[in-house]
Amino acid sequence: MLDVLSEAMAALAGSGVHAEARHVVSRTRWVRVHDGRVAAAGDDATEGVGVRARAAGGWAYAASAQSTRAGVEDAARRAVALARALPARRRDPGLLPVPPARGHWAGPCERDPFAVSIDEVSELLLAADAGMHDEARVTATDGMFLAVGTSSAFASTEGAACTQEHMRTAAGIAATALGDGELQIRSYPCALPGGSGAGGWELVTGLDLAAHAGRVAAEASELCLAPPCPDGLATLVLGSDQIALQVHESIGHALELDRMQGDEAGYAGTSWVTPDRVGTLRYGSEQLNVTADATVPGGLGTFGWDDEGVAARRIALIRDGMLRGVLSGRDSAAEAGLAEPGGCVRAEGWARQPILRMTNVSIEPGEAGTLADLLADTGEGIFLDTNRSWSIDDRRLAFRFSTEVAREIRGGELGRLYRNPAYSGRTPEFWASLDAVCGPSEWRLRGTLNCGKGEPGQMMHVSHGSAPARFRGVRVGSA
Amino acid sequence: VTRAELEALAERALGHCEGEAQVTVHHERSLATRYARSAPTQATELDALTVRVTAVCDGHPAHASTTRPHDDDLRAAAHRARAAAEAAARAGPGVLPGLPGPVASSPPAGHGWDPETARLDPGRAARVLGTVLDAAATADARAAGVWTAGAVRIAIASSTGLRAYDEVTDAFLKVLLEGPRGRSGYAAAAAVAAAGIDPAATAAQAASKLTDAEPVELPPGEYPVVLEADAVGELLRQLAAHAFNGLAHVEGRGALAGRLGTRVAALGVDLSDVPAHPATLPRAIDAEGVPKQSVALLRDGVAEGVVHDTRSAAVAGDEARSTGHAIEPGGSPDGPGPTNLVLGGGEVPGVAALAAPVERGLLVTRLWYVNTVDPKRTLLTGMTRDGTFLIEDGRVTRPLRDVRFTDEVLRILAATGGLGSTPVLTSEGELYGERFAYGAVCPPLRAEGFRVTGSAPR
Repeated sequence: MLDVLSEAMAALAGSGVHAEARHVVSRTRWVRVHDGRVAAAGDDATEGVGVRARAAGGWAYAASAQSTRAGVEDAARRAVALARALPARRRDPGLLPVPPARGHWAGPCERDPFAVSIDEVSELLLAADAGMHDEARVTATDGMFLAVGTSSAFASTEGAACTQEHMRTAAGIAATALGDGELQIRSYPCALPGGSGAGGWELVTGLDLAAHAGRVAAEASELCLAPPCPDGLATLVLGSDQIALQVHESIGHALELDRMQGDEAGYAGTSWVTPDRVGTLRYGSEQLNVTADATVPGGLGTFGWDDEGVAARRIALIRDGMLRGVLSGRDSAAEAGLAEPGGCVRAEGWARQPILRMTNVSIEPGEAGTLADLLADTGEGIFLDTNRSWSIDDRRLAFRFSTEVAREIRGGELGRLYRNPAYSGRTPEFWASLDAVCGPSEWRLRGTLNCGKGEPGQMMHVSHGSAPARFRGVRVGSA
Repeated sequence: VTRAELEALAERALGHCEGEAQVTVHHERSLATRYARSAPTQATELDALTVRVTAVCDGHPAHASTTRPHDDDLRAAAHRARAAAEAAARAGPGVLPGLPGPVASSPPAGHGWDPETARLDPGRAARVLGTVLDAAATADARAAGVWTAGAVRIAIASSTGLRAYDEVTDAFLKVLLEGPRGRSGYAAAAAVAAAGIDPAATAAQAASKLTDAEPVELPPGEYPVVLEADAVGELLRQLAAHAFNGLAHVEGRGALAGRLGTRVAALGVDLSDVPAHPATLPRAIDAEGVPKQSVALLRDGVAEGVVHDTRSAAVAGDEARSTGHAIEPGGSPDGPGPTNLVLGGGEVPGVAALAAPVERGLLVTRLWYVNTVDPKRTLLTGMTRDGTFLIEDGRVTRPLRDVRFTDEVLRILAATGGLGSTPVLTSEGELYGERFAYGAVCPPLRAEGFRVTGSAPR
């Protein structure tokens, strides 16, 4: 299809319209188990084309399931007509120039998950499920496997012509316990659909779900009878799963330039950070270093080029606590006067238009060693991990997050369990209270498959590198 | 693509299936035009056709879909679905008793269809945006939001003999205005027909929330609250997932497990799912082709019922039957859900009258980023947004900084002391995946003890 896309874009090239065409073929396979049975399985295939055209500072996109020359040409005609039909009221800052994307890129995949039989997938999940049934208070058990393979082609009126292949895989387990009037869910490695990343079946086997099943069930059961998380200001150590969520919500989204400029005010929200603060805003303590890296191996936000043909790159967002960069696309970067675009524009499949998204936004490892080292250094405090609920205001400033589990830190070690833990804060004060981040041995890429944005809505896959970290004087309590 | 062509495609796909199977053909055409900073930003026009095959083997449904309607692709999808179902069955029997059979009389399709809306006229979109942007300029405000319209047609054919068809349209306008001093106002409208939405009136309603007055902060605590219809609708949509899901209920995870027949809300609170209600976005059938039934959920404050699909009804036993609330063919492992909630109105004529008995409390236009903390308790947390005001001595007096609430929906309904007399269709217009527009019909309400747990920074 790349030739078809290129020819359609070449035909538009002299018309004064900037346009980009994509052809996307995607296959999704999933298996879910529940209470010792396979609860659902599926194998979806989707294919289509979409054309994005720019006029008067705005974008119009037309998409069709007809992956033919006629389908591409019709989508191009509709996109251009739509762009011209809408009221033009804004000065157009244009697009930052980029070299035309050319070539082919493929992500990692050691063992094709679509070559793994559903029998084998079911067997693995059911073995883990069986390991969660020994606890009397556990009333429901769940497991999930998901694989998404995508091939795409991209061409533009600027002469771009490239193809990419991605494989993304996820798996996890969860136990639900009822007791003492409580419903408690404990999961591994995080809430379903579980741990995810770029790669194949090797990511699933690497999780060793069955080995964690007994602990997951025991903790779910124990949580029902655990005391509520105590209220007050505390020294807080967050596990790496919760750090990933914290970075996603209070740094990643806040530094999306479309939000900072006001273009997401109608849905996703805006940001407490304005574009003119880059270089001068203290975002957090000197321990805080954050990057957006679309080149890191294994990330769900890793690619060769983004969906407007900008080559993948690594951007320093925060250095020693100071704001140094933002997530941007060609149009938002042009308006902000940046030297080059951030390469952060992506779309969920062919039926959605590319919009500004996170790539892999990660907190860099620090010097606090292992989690055990950090706990020992902490002495007294509280440890929270595995996200359960999240809510933050539309400027990404005031948040309240809760986790599946909390443990007391006493004498430098993890102690008793607390149920229904939650913590709250305001973004700059919270990150200013960061005083230690664990080192490279604890740093992991953690994927999320459900980052929602856009109208119509798009779910994007992103990863966050994270390590356990410590915060002083945080408001914690019980939900 | 005509109805006959969609039904013929479903039959053709079914012809490639072996054993028990359902074919669902979903055709969406839609147009969305977004705007921000008082200018168009992103427009999306979509024409998407999906054929989904659900095969059933020994109680296990499994799915496969394709967007290519050619015989080779349909045959491949049928094969993948069958292979997945058989693999699932090799691990042990499933709980689905079988796909639904034909119904004696199918409900009429197209109850929620407007032919003019289905044309998806970009000219209308341009006029709507023009009207909103003009209104924003008049109010000295910056506008953001979306106008979207869609036409969805669904044809279902099953090896059990069931044949079903439905077609629906929807239109949605969201207007968010930001005044020169940073305060914002919000209004939204949803309808089956694009002509049923008045963009000037919607923009005027959003503009009515703007004020130059400096907002004050409300400290954490429990306050009387007047929730406008959009805020009530958001709470009801969350409640639907946690309280009325028949599968979660029978597994003991639902908020009403063990509480049916008991009082869970105040007298006068009547909540039902009414798929044919003219004020909702009506639907004739569910994802299994089963005619959607009206279900009383709360009657005069007493928990009355939950909804079912074929799977959850089988798990429930006791002669439970699908109520036509399947989200997926064969029943979703996450359970069924109501999508046409209707909260009955009361006798209070409007928001001002609801506020009249409040000595000191708050008026909430809209809730934002609401997420579940504890599903069994219906405990949620979220923010207010785009129009939060202080009520003093029965009158709306000053703007408030937005607040965080952490509260239980059922507790709010139990503490409800007044319901507005005019329910309206509310929707967030969230359209992820295949287009499925939905909303809740509800009035504004007044409740005691709304739990404020924080406030937004300046």
